[in-house]
Amino acid sequence: MVMVLNKRLMRILKENKLRYLGILVLIILGSYTFIVAAGLSQNLAVLVTTFTEDHVQEDLSFSTDRPISDVAELENKFDALIEEYMSFDAKLSDTLTLRLLSETKKVNIPAIIEGRTLSRPGEILLDPAFAEANGYSIGSQIKAQDKTFTVVGFVSLPHYIYPLKNVNDILYSPKEFGVGVINREEFSDIDNAASIYSVKFNDRTRSLNMQAVELRKYLQVKGFTVSNWIDIMNNKRARIVWASITGMKTMSVPVPAAMFLLSSLIIGIMFWRIIRRESVIIGTLYAQGYRRRELMRHYMAIPLVLAFAGGMIGSLFALPSIEPMVMAMISYYNVPVPGIELSFLNVMIGILTPMIFLGLSSYMVIRSELKKSPAELMKGDKQKAKVNALERAFKLERFKFSTKFRLREQFRSISRLVFLLLGVTSASVLMLFGFTVLNSMNHVFKTSDVYLFEYEYTFRDLQYGEAPDGAETFNAGKFYPENNEEIEFYITGIEPDSTLVILKDNKGNVIPNNQTNITKSLANRLGIKAGDTVTFINKEDGKPHTFHIDAVAESYIEQFIYVPIDEFNKKMELPEDSYIGLFSTKELDIPDEKLSGTKSMSQLPEAMDEFMGQMISMVALMTIVSSVVALIILYLVTSLAIEENRNTISLFKVFGYRRGEIRSLILNSSTFVVVTGFLIGIPVAVASMGSLYGYLGNLINLVLPPIVSPIYVIISFAAIMLTYQLSKCMCAKNIDTVSMSEALKAGTE
Amino acid sequence: MFIDVSDLRKTYTSGMIKNEVLKGIAMKLGKGEIGVILGPSGSGKSTLMNIIGGVDRGDSGKVIVDGIEVSKLNDDQLTEYRREAVGFVFQFYNLVPNLTVRENIEVVSNISKSPLNIDEVLAEVQMLDKKHRFPRELSGGEQQRVSIARAIVKNPKLLLCDEPTGALDFQTSRSILKLLQQVNRNFGTTILMITHNTAISAMANRVFKLRSGEIVDEWVNQAPIPAEGIEW
Ligand SMILES: Nc1ncnc2c1ncn2[C@@H]1O[C@H](COP(=O)(O)OP(=O)(O)OP(=O)(O)O)[C@@H](O)[C@H]1O
Ligand SMILES: [Mg+2]
Repeated sequence: MVMVLNKRLMRILKENKLRYLGILVLIILGSYTFIVAAGLSQNLAVLVTTFTEDHVQEDLSFSTDRPISDVAELENKFDALIEEYMSFDAKLSDTLTLRLLSETKKVNIPAIIEGRTLSRPGEILLDPAFAEANGYSIGSQIKAQDKTFTVVGFVSLPHYIYPLKNVNDILYSPKEFGVGVINREEFSDIDNAASIYSVKFNDRTRSLNMQAVELRKYLQVKGFTVSNWIDIMNNKRARIVWASITGMKTMSVPVPAAMFLLSSLIIGIMFWRIIRRESVIIGTLYAQGYRRRELMRHYMAIPLVLAFAGGMIGSLFALPSIEPMVMAMISYYNVPVPGIELSFLNVMIGILTPMIFLGLSSYMVIRSELKKSPAELMKGDKQKAKVNALERAFKLERFKFSTKFRLREQFRSISRLVFLLLGVTSASVLMLFGFTVLNSMNHVFKTSDVYLFEYEYTFRDLQYGEAPDGAETFNAGKFYPENNEEIEFYITGIEPDSTLVILKDNKGNVIPNNQTNITKSLANRLGIKAGDTVTFINKEDGKPHTFHIDAVAESYIEQFIYVPIDEFNKKMELPEDSYIGLFSTKELDIPDEKLSGTKSMSQLPEAMDEFMGQMISMVALMTIVSSVVALIILYLVTSLAIEENRNTISLFKVFGYRRGEIRSLILNSSTFVVVTGFLIGIPVAVASMGSLYGYLGNLINLVLPPIVSPIYVIISFAAIMLTYQLSKCMCAKNIDTVSMSEALKAGTE
Repeated sequence: MFIDVSDLRKTYTSGMIKNEVLKGIAMKLGKGEIGVILGPSGSGKSTLMNIIGGVDRGDSGKVIVDGIEVSKLNDDQLTEYRREAVGFVFQFYNLVPNLTVRENIEVVSNISKSPLNIDEVLAEVQMLDKKHRFPRELSGGEQQRVSIARAIVKNPKLLLCDEPTGALDFQTSRSILKLLQQVNRNFGTTILMITHNTAISAMANRVFKLRSGEIVDEWVNQAPIPAEGIEW
């Protein structure tokens, strides 16, 4: 008898192949995303943590005006590892810079990922992405600063995981910049190399921040002028990788959860229908002595097998794709990869979660029916479902018949309505999410309309007098808010009539530079608005300064406060006419030794193009996935609606409705729900965007605007509507095949 | 003649077995008349009526309704024919469950060229006060009234009723029959009705007795009695 029952299961599955396939795909997608995203974030986190611990990533680094003679004493005093290293930017070509770093032994120890360590003079270890982008292999020669080096290996550095040229950059391109490690001795004949101290505190129990502050105070007391102080927490080279890890980790929950929730909802709906349809059979089986448990097992088999199969297939696809994905991420970040761990636990979660979701929903549905007595069940579907509250609530008289019919169709099954709404909303959110990230990035990097200069020169020492032709002076200092030393930013004094820094408000009007302006990203981060008076501490001397903020400028890439340079100098008690740097429209002839940094604005675009290229393919992928999800959901709902309406469709045919009229009534009944679902998706996408961005902002000092651009909304809407049309086409045939005899024979079986 | 069927044949073939359901039916019904088809179960009553109503086709023979040769129409033309000319009443009412009474009637008025006023039709079947109810909130007799209202709202030339009282008790059946008679009188609708119940034939102008796909008997009632007078 059990065998016979099991045969029935196969028949149930076969009858609605496409539907179960749809659910299967949702589960596969859910498990796949979970295992890949979780695997990716966990692996990356382990790789990065292991690397930074084993190779002693610095807690901070700084430069001084004169060498620290007794490093050992300082190490003892502060219970820290302190090591000095040299850094020099060698120009390989107009656009290509190789930063030469001296090999260290105690802090930021280089990790050889291929080849061997340095042993003889004239050898170099290269950052692998740089080497690949510029065609250097192990054994090849590289010419830098009039010296020829032989590449003996590839290297990862704990303080250059993301090899940004400047700590405040966001993007880098290996075609423009890379790092190489050479012997310390090689620096003896390189002039103007910078000397940098890296510090790693041994005491991990005390606040690192406190220890850093003490160290800094001590250096000041000892008469050192400290510059380029950067804590690891503010160092994008080390921190940006955590943004990716966190991003993946966040992805690993809501997307699979949405998929599993959707599948459990729809399986619940389908089983409720199956079980009601079969209530007479169930009653009869009961009456013949079947136990509830046996019947329960019988009906639960399908959802459980489906969930298990989906989880398995998802895992099978996911597991082999973790490694190449980690490797793809690693090509972006420079971290050694001793091995990839595939987590058994993740696979278990990926398989068990959908089983729990689907099992629970079908269990509840099936139980609610099986609870009834055999007699009740054998009466069958005759005790018809009650009119639900939603159906009764709406007074629809003033609508056209077709509108009424479609509305009724939707209100008829609240669970179906919820499923459709939820499904369309999640697909839309996913789609909008992708587009919004793309748009935000695009917006952020479009700084060309803010900064009209091509070059930014920063001097080692204060300069006096007028700027050369085509250039403007600026002065700058690092500050932090009174109660939060974690947030660091620059306050920059610029010329009050500057034509090179053009700030605009959110309406696009130019903001004058003779007042105090803050960029939007910084304002958001500090929670400041125009009109506020705020106090910040100067990092150099620890003195508080008060500023009255006049306006907020729409600039996302940089976190700055701009004040007129005269006011800045007065506040900082700097000489009038003094400046630390120049903005220039053309390249200036300034001796290298006078400069501490040069930034060319034209460097950004290539890095941006690469980054945007990756973004676009990711967004395209997200759009495809969300379209597939939307298609499955719409198909499931429409085909269910058709099945529920077979008799009505048949009746309409008898009454002389034309094919097109029936299609339009039945198939278009979901239109307003689809549109509503999409509209709900917009604020949800913006809100989830906002929270993710807020998180990223804190993590990597980057504030992105959650901008939902109308164009992308239209594109997403078009994509959703297109899948809707497609699902309608897939179902149109089902409507045509309903025969008139169903209505004519209704009630006779 | 309003309905003119001649030599209508229909055979169902399932596998090797041929089942000749209609074996050369010939029947005529005048405009504005009530016709009743009697016969045992399986004799082909519904099949015959469905062919006349344009929801099924015969294999051969001619079916003419009000000058339209129904047997020659293609699928689209049949749809138009049903849309324009025919009203259906079923044994089990066949109301759309998630539409209210009024909306169920709109199902048909929505597609007809010159429908009658819905409220007037509802008043005619004495269901005006229940027009916002859903079918499952009505008794069988009430549902059948709504189904009749739905059939007549487009003012069809021909009303086909397949055992309209088959699922109802005596009293309710009689009131439904009375309603049909009233429709026939007030709107001049030609009605063809199937029944198991010989007593009902008393209210018909013409009676056709079917057995195994053949009309075995056929008579004309010179004076059909009002439905109130029917007893069984
Ligand atoms: N679609 C079909 N396929 C095969 N045979 C059919 C089909 N429809 C009807 N029949 C057969 O045709 C015969 C006549 O059926 P029909 O429905 O016309 O009978 P009926 O006189 O209306 O019976 P009842 O009073 O029970 O409704 C029956 O023997 C039936 O088995
Ligand atoms: Mg019949």
